[in-house]
Amino acid sequence: MTIVKAAKTHPLYDKLVEIVSEERINDNPIIISSYSHDACHLEAERPSIVIMPETVEEIQKIVKICNDTRTAVIPAGGRNGICGACLPRVKGAVMLDMVKMDKIVTLDEDAMTVTVEAGLRWAELIHRLDEKGYKLGFRGPYGGNVGTVGGSVSINSIGYAASKFGPSTEGVVSLEVVLPDGSVITTGSGWNRDAQLFARFTSFNDITGVFLGDHGTLGVKTKVTLKIYPKAEFITYGDFGFRTLEDAVRAFHEVQKRGLTEELNLLTDRQSTDTFFPGFLDNHPEINAMFASIVQETDQQLADRKMEIIRETALEHGGKDLGNFASQMHWSELFNLVQPLYNNGFWLNTCHLRPILRVPELMKKMWEIFEKYKLLNNGIKWIASCLGAERTYATGWVTIFAPTKDKMDLALTAWNEMLDAVIATGGCPYWNGLLWEDHTLRQVDPAFLNVVHTLKRAIDPNGIMCPHVFEGVK
Amino acid sequence: MNDTRFSNVMEYEKDLWLCARCGDCSLADKIVASNREIFHPCAVKNVLGFEAYTARGRIMVINDLLAGKLELDDDLVNWAFTCTTCKNCQETCTATADGIRMAEITEALRRDLVDKGLDMPKHRIIEEYIEKEGNPYKEPREKRLELFGERQWPERAEVVYFVGCTSAYREREIAIDTVALLDKAGVDFTILPDEECCGSVMHRLGREGPFNKSAQKNIKAIEKTKAKYLITACAGCYRTWKIDIPENGHKFKFEVLHITEFLDKLISEKRIAFEAPNGIRVTYHDPCHLGRHSEVYEAPRRVIQSVKNVELVEMMTNKRYAHCCGAGGGVKSSHGELADKIAARRINEAEDTQAELLITACPFCLRGLHDGADYIKSSLRIIDIPQFLLPYVIKGVIEVSEEENPLKQEFMDYLRAHPKIFDGLKPDAVIDYIIEDDRFHVRIVKKGQIEVNPIRAENPDVELTFSEGAVRELIQIPSEDEYAARFGQFFKEPTDEKWIKFNLRRNIVKLLMKGYRKFAQKAGLI
Repeated sequence: MTIVKAAKTHPLYDKLVEIVSEERINDNPIIISSYSHDACHLEAERPSIVIMPETVEEIQKIVKICNDTRTAVIPAGGRNGICGACLPRVKGAVMLDMVKMDKIVTLDEDAMTVTVEAGLRWAELIHRLDEKGYKLGFRGPYGGNVGTVGGSVSINSIGYAASKFGPSTEGVVSLEVVLPDGSVITTGSGWNRDAQLFARFTSFNDITGVFLGDHGTLGVKTKVTLKIYPKAEFITYGDFGFRTLEDAVRAFHEVQKRGLTEELNLLTDRQSTDTFFPGFLDNHPEINAMFASIVQETDQQLADRKMEIIRETALEHGGKDLGNFASQMHWSELFNLVQPLYNNGFWLNTCHLRPILRVPELMKKMWEIFEKYKLLNNGIKWIASCLGAERTYATGWVTIFAPTKDKMDLALTAWNEMLDAVIATGGCPYWNGLLWEDHTLRQVDPAFLNVVHTLKRAIDPNGIMCPHVFEGVK
Repeated sequence: MNDTRFSNVMEYEKDLWLCARCGDCSLADKIVASNREIFHPCAVKNVLGFEAYTARGRIMVINDLLAGKLELDDDLVNWAFTCTTCKNCQETCTATADGIRMAEITEALRRDLVDKGLDMPKHRIIEEYIEKEGNPYKEPREKRLELFGERQWPERAEVVYFVGCTSAYREREIAIDTVALLDKAGVDFTILPDEECCGSVMHRLGREGPFNKSAQKNIKAIEKTKAKYLITACAGCYRTWKIDIPENGHKFKFEVLHITEFLDKLISEKRIAFEAPNGIRVTYHDPCHLGRHSEVYEAPRRVIQSVKNVELVEMMTNKRYAHCCGAGGGVKSSHGELADKIAARRINEAEDTQAELLITACPFCLRGLHDGADYIKSSLRIIDIPQFLLPYVIKGVIEVSEEENPLKQEFMDYLRAHPKIFDGLKPDAVIDYIIEDDRFHVRIVKKGQIEVNPIRAENPDVELTFSEGAVRELIQIPSEDEYAARFGQFFKEPTDEKWIKFNLRRNIVKLLMKGYRKFAQKAGLI
């Protein structure tokens, strides 16, 4: 049923409503307003019409009409990303709100893969796999209550359990994609129509990789096949504090190199720990940086031994055992860690990746910026943290919080300098979007970018999929 | 150009700023990931689909309204009355200590719209009838107590039963059975001869109506009876008496209890008991106004579970995170089919439990759930608590067969003797203790004073689960400091025999405000 009626002013409304029912298409400004932002402050064009498809066939038909009429198509997942990736750059765009495509299509217990519709949320997938005795590798971004599998793998999202399994894209075996001409392909071992979806790299180029991280520019992902693992019930935790960030980073690097943890998180300074976990270091005045480590295994002895090794490593680097409350809180509050931070104000992020050992270099620059703008004196708190990712790199998550609207301009000035500092110290954003695009385009090798644009032209000659993405925001 | 002055909404400016659009209010499933019974919390979005119907979407729309980016038209009014104000989004939200207050923001917006002359004609008619006849159902005032026949009500009594408009005019069985139950328990009670609508409907629709006048009239009439308790079987009336009437500056001395709380009290005083002749499996729907709005979750469950041979099974979403039935917040009167569709989904959830009976504790929920069942032609039996209980009242001497758990008792006694364990926690902090599947809770009354209650807390801040071995050791420890150290040890270095686990029931910001940082430090956790 429909309460807020469609305005029916979009030029394609009459054709599109024939594909989906009236209940699942709307171009009323009230409905459109609620798709005008993701979870960051950045703004772009608004979609002109929103459709909630339920099947691949519907998407094929929608995309075909859009291709014939050169109309922009923007697939959107949970829309709680923080880089504006799901916002259109052109007027008149058709937004596909994918969240009704949320079914588990196949649970292949032989190949240990699960194939899901792209609009399924990570937390819900974890719920359903848990009932069957399985877990995912990469568990979802920190906003995984709402973030969708399709959305995450489209923007190289990173988050829970990346310390062992790498970012969202590392766990992908195969994709089903509706191409701009309306045809459908299945990547990985799916090139063979008679094969199970069991492997990514077979017989041809890695076509899966072409679509991962494409920010929706090459097609609409409709299914994603992910690796799964037996549920691991045995968990050990450890929190370790260090006098200096340098000591913490070296210990963190050692632990991460050995692949001991499911999740390894570093808080780079006391201010960050105080913002994230007020009072945690009150009894440890000498501690400046700390990490929380979580081991999850199918065997208790294995989990215990790994934590012993982590402890030994931390102590060898001058670390202090702080117990395990922070890491237990961290893990038990899966997907709920970020939201309480909003209480500090609206957040501005600098999410990116960097080699672990280059974290102190970044933080030196960041602290200069914090001090230059007297952020704390202005009530602007920050959290600087790093999540170990797949061997020896980490996320750089330096986030500042504008407590009130009137502090936003100051916060934005500092934040823009922080973005420059990230790139200047060798950081690579995992996602691009409105947040990063101008910064990355200033730095990118033209030959590299040419390949990106050539791929786009080859697959989407009419340029309907997320037009102007990777071309610059301004 | 729109008139962008929304003085009522602007009181929530901070909430409108701090919502960072994480979308938990829209799509979260926290059942396994973080052990909360949250699943797609917005009952309206679950039917209507688009984001504009969720809290996240509503805030974007309201911010556009404030910025003059949207027209104030019929579409906007229709949209504003699609929220059931059930507060499930707020319970799910962890962005602020109390969660983004979407239900309050929605009512504020409705007040602003009404102030601008933008409302639904049917709401005006409802207001007229409340003004004229004291009820929203277009029924004559003199027929309000018709359902009780010729019965005469005493001028004075210990208890006043506030019937409410829905029980008086529509779901009459609830009123009739409530009276019968009170009679069977020998309660000294009366009913107001000129009861007026409590005002809930007006408040939910953003209208003032005769709210204050009616409240004053009702209070005066109740006080005349010298009653100690005002009881009601309507969750809407309950919320209004418990929250709205005092918030509007009205003062009264009597205590307001929902019928389930009152029955819970009667059961504990052994004044009434129940037994079903055959085993029956039931489930319970939490009315939003009783649960999330007033934090009464356990009393109805204790009452149901007190009935011998009854097995209570929970729905996938329950208590704080229970899906709404769709009838509240003016949605039933504004968009009837939407209410039916929401209720139908709740019926499906109840059917999934394999229960024979769906029990609720609100006439408005009962009506809504019946309509929802009809909508999908479900044969699930739906009943309100007084109707459910009445046939099962046992006559004669009432024996309580439950055996007290001695370890629980010892642990409670120990904590009572060591209130310093809780130093640092603010008044009204509540911790639920779980040992051997049994529960009790500690509530901080004031500094150095605690209350240890042998029952599960209605809405605890934290749940602590203890192994038997851990409790046995803890209760031997003479000093609070040593207790804290051992507590921390069992948490940080658990063994198969001695362990402690926790489950946070409130968001971290709220816990910090309540003083749990000190508590954690004392307990050696940080």
